[in-house]
Order: sequence, then structure tokens, then C-alpha cells
Amino acid sequence: MTWLVWRQYRAQGAIAAALLAAAAAVILADGFQIASHWHAILVRCSGSSTCLQQQSALANGVVSDLPYISLIVPAVLGMLWGAPLVAHELEARTSDFAWTQSVTRTRWLTVKAGWLLLAAAACGGAVTALTTWWSGPENARFASAFEPGHFDTQGIVPVGYAVFAMALGIAAGTVARRTLPAIAVVLGGFIALRLVISDFLRQHYMAAVTTYYNVTGAFTPTGQAWVLAQGGVSPTGRVVPTGWGDLYPALPASCRQLLPGTPGAKSGASLNAVFSCMRAHGWRGFATYQPASRYWPFQGIEAGIYLLLAAALIAGTFVIIRRRDA
Amino acid sequence: MTAIETHELSKRYRRVSALTECSVTVPEGRVCALVGPNGAGKTTLLRLLAGLARPTAGTASVLGGAPRQNPAFLAGIGFLAQEIPLYRRFTAEDHIRIGAHLNPRWDAGLARARLEELRIPLDQRVGTLSGGQRAQVALALTLAKRPRLLLLDEPFAALDPLARRNFLATLAMAMAEAAGDLTVVLSSHLVTDLERVCDHIILLAGSLVQLCGDIDTLLAEHKVLVGPRKDIAPIERAHKVVQTAATARQSTLFVHLNGPVIDPAYQAEDVTLEELVLAYMGADEASAGRHLSTVGEGS
Repeated sequence: MTWLVWRQYRAQGAIAAALLAAAAAVILADGFQIASHWHAILVRCSGSSTCLQQQSALANGVVSDLPYISLIVPAVLGMLWGAPLVAHELEARTSDFAWTQSVTRTRWLTVKAGWLLLAAAACGGAVTALTTWWSGPENARFASAFEPGHFDTQGIVPVGYAVFAMALGIAAGTVARRTLPAIAVVLGGFIALRLVISDFLRQHYMAAVTTYYNVTGAFTPTGQAWVLAQGGVSPTGRVVPTGWGDLYPALPASCRQLLPGTPGAKSGASLNAVFSCMRAHGWRGFATYQPASRYWPFQGIEAGIYLLLAAALIAGTFVIIRRRDA
Repeated sequence: MTAIETHELSKRYRRVSALTECSVTVPEGRVCALVGPNGAGKTTLLRLLAGLARPTAGTASVLGGAPRQNPAFLAGIGFLAQEIPLYRRFTAEDHIRIGAHLNPRWDAGLARARLEELRIPLDQRVGTLSGGQRAQVALALTLAKRPRLLLLDEPFAALDPLARRNFLATLAMAMAEAAGDLTVVLSSHLVTDLERVCDHIILLAGSLVQLCGDIDTLLAEHKVLVGPRKDIAPIERAHKVVQTAATARQSTLFVHLNGPVIDPAYQAEDVTLEELVLAYMGADEASAGRHLSTVGEGS
């Protein structure tokens, strides 16, 4: 069976390896440039954080989108290898050949899907290794690795995405019996699930931490924390997010008049005066966040969710393949 | 020993009945013709026997057990679908090597020898071969598996007359080599082609079995009775009248005899396999004869 899989995928595998190598060359070349730029900045600023803030971005334009390769590769693999795995055999009727050799369908699917899922994990692992390394300076500078859009392209989650997208393709192709609809299901399903999980589910993997602080001061969680919400809490317990648009109407009139540039602003208006006024009225600052120490547990939970879903899809595929007519 | 025995085997696809309560028997070592018009259920029956489809009702016993997902069962079955399923980007040699990896009794030498004899290139993508050549490759692969039961769905469809003769010669050789351990079921529209090789017949029409048995026995049991036009009730009481035709003065009865014909007014004539098949298809529906071509229909 393994030989059949090798014969079926050796050409596509070679193309995929060549494309991956090309992508790796680009990422490595760019990554080394960014790294040396970052080191130069570090030397120049010698530990001054204000100096660091004033430096230009590390990566610009198209290059800054490089990490998305660790989302694109899983989706593409699911569409091009996963969707046709069963569907194309049914379409071309080669299933009649494969399933009347002296090999059960269960074994056929085990070996074929097994190797392809492994290939997906390997490709996902390769791209995420590259993007994680590439993102190193950016993570160090912006402490952004936990933020949506960064969390998704680094660490181990792309491996989970790749395995899931492959499994989704295999399952969709088995149900639809046709490659094209299965490709659409992979694309739609992968994007939709990723949106739901990254926008709604991920922040609830563990109960977020909320810290209250003095409004005249400032608070930033240590390390690469993921700040979910930050703002002010009124004496009555009303929570208002940061941003004057939300905050201004909620403030007591006496504090509003201290905001520079507002109609009827008092003399001596300044932001600090507003904050002092808020403090005097019993306002506190708050920050709700996932601490940096939860980065890897979150990576593990998210990868686990995708791997479990993939396992369920593959289990369903086995049931269908064994029971349904060819 | 019987190679195939089905009992009220039925298959429904959604609301369409593809095969209805099919009970047939094929003894081991026979070459069985499976004939019937398009949509009669021939392909469905073959796929059920090969284990590619599951019956809705009834049972099938193939080589001593129900068709199932089991390497030993699958090793005994050689199935060739009508669509000639091959990997179009693979060469014949690739297929031979795949077969070697997937089958315990694989005879790669047999497949290579046969294809070389037919001058079919082993190193060319199967997709670039002609339809007839592809069919020969698929056939060689099916035979290389050394099955005990060969299920061939319309194997002649893609073959020209010469290739047909080649194929039948190969089949006869395989039968001789297997010395009674190989049973063949082949479906076709071409009764004349089947007559040369088959000694058993299953006739399906309208998803029902119309006829099943040994060809020589069936031919001996059936006669065409030609006689004056008169009441056929006495004949109907004694025998089974399959089909009747009448002119103004003469009537022709196609009957399944149940003993000798006593009435001397009738003259009994022997029937050919083709007449037998046509009579039973006509019994199912008057127009069935149109579906059954005897002169090399394409599909």
C-alpha cells in the first residue's frame, strides 16, 4: 500500500518540496536581514525603551505578511491533497481497481490517509518553524506573539491547522464523492472555523485575568500577554473601554471640562488633569488579559482542538468508506 | 460446489430498484453469461458479488461466504468494471507493480507476457493508450491476480472483433490452466460472443431474474412449436408458454417443455441461445428485443 501512495504522490510531493524550499529561501533571507536590523537597533538604543519605540517597523509591505504562509499552506494542502484523496478515486472510478485488490478498504484508507496526514503535519511543522523563527525580532519588539494574527502563525498551532484541513478535505471528499465541492468545503470550513475559534473561543480557553490600577498611572501586563480589554471603571462599577469616544460621555461633567480641546474647556485643561479628576471621582483603570505564561498552554489547547476535530473527521470517514457502496 | 449462490438478493438506490429478489446459482468452474437489456441490474449484481456494494435485502454467498472486506475474500475475486478503471497517469508497468504490492498470488510475469504479446507498451501512460489497449491492460491485471472468481462487466464493449477473439482465447487458456478452479461471470449484450464460451446463463430484465441455468439443459428444455392457429389452452396446461406469435393461419409458440408434446399438429423446432434470450426478454416487455443487439453494439 505504501508503495501505491508513494507512486501516487511522488510527483506532487516533489513539487510541494520544491515550493516549500523556495518559500524557505525567501523567509530565511528576509529573516536574517530583519534579525541583523533588530540587533543593530538593540545596540543603538542600548536598552532605552523610548529609543526602541521610535525605531521604524522591522518589516514592511508584503514581507510583513510572510507569516500567513503558515495558514495558507494548511488550507492549500487540504484542498489539493485532502479533497481528492477519496473523491478523485471515486470520480475516476479507480476506487473499483483499488478496492478489488486483496487489500481491505480500511487498510487502504489507513495507509493512504495516514501518510497524507503525516505529510500535512510535516509541512505544517516546517512552515511554522520558519515563521516562528522569522517572527522572533518582532515578538521581542512588540511583545505581540500572543495577539490574534500572530498566535495563529507561530508555535505548534499551524501543525494542528494542517492536520485538520487535510482531514476535512478527506472527509468532505468522501461524503461529497466529488473533488470540487470538497475543495469548497475545505476552504469555507477552514476559514469559518478559524474565525470562530480565534475571535470567539480562544479567549475563553482559561478565565482571563483582570487587574485594576490607579488611573493616573499606567499598566502593561508583563511579557507577551494578550490584552483582551483595557479601560476605566466608574465608581458605580460601569466598565468603559479605552478611547475618548467611549470614555468622554461617561465622565462626570467636571472632568469633561478638563479635556483639552473640548467646547467650554477650563483653563489648565490637560489629560493628566482629567485622569486626576477621574481618580478623585473614584475611577480606576482595568486591564483584562491572558498572561504571557499561558502562551504555550493556549497553543497546546488550540492545537489539541484541531487535532481532535481531525480525528473525529477521519473516524467518520472510516465509517463511511467501510459501509457505503463504492 | 457452487461459486455463487444468491437468495432473494435485492438492491435499491433511493427509490429505484436496481435488483429485485435475485436468486441465482452458478456452479464452480462455469463460464456464466449475464445478459439483459441496459438497466436490467447486471452491473448491480456484479458489484454486489464483488463486495463493492451492499445488498438492501437478501443474501449472497460467493466462494463459500458473504462478500466482505477481508483480504482472503478479496484475493479470490477478480473484478473488471465496465469503465475500465485504471490510473491514467500510471504506466501498465506501474499497475503491475501496484498489483504485486497488494495481492498475495500476483503473477506479474503473466501480465507482462500477455501485454507484450499484444504489443501494448508497458512504459507508456495508460491514459495515452487506445480504449481497446486500456481494456486489455485492465484484463491482464485482473487475470494476474489469479482469482477464483472472475467478474467481468461488459468486457467486450471496448474491444474490436480481433481483440475480442484474443480476449476469449486468453480466457479459455486461463480456464484450462485453472483446471476447474476458476469461475467466470461476464455480462454482455452480445449473445453470439457469449455462446462460444459460456456454458451457463443468467438473464436479467427489469431488475428481475428471467432465466438462470445450464445453457445446454435450457436449450433442450425449450422448443418452438409451429402449428395451425387454434386454442393454445391445452399446451398452456401442460407446458409453460413463454411467448406466442401468430399469423392468420399459423401460430408459433415458444415453450418451456414439461415433458413431450403430444399434439401431433405441432412441429417442434430446436431453439438457439439467441432465440432463448430474446423470448425471455420479450416475455418481460414486448419491446425488450430492441435493447438486445446481436451485432456488436458499442455499449
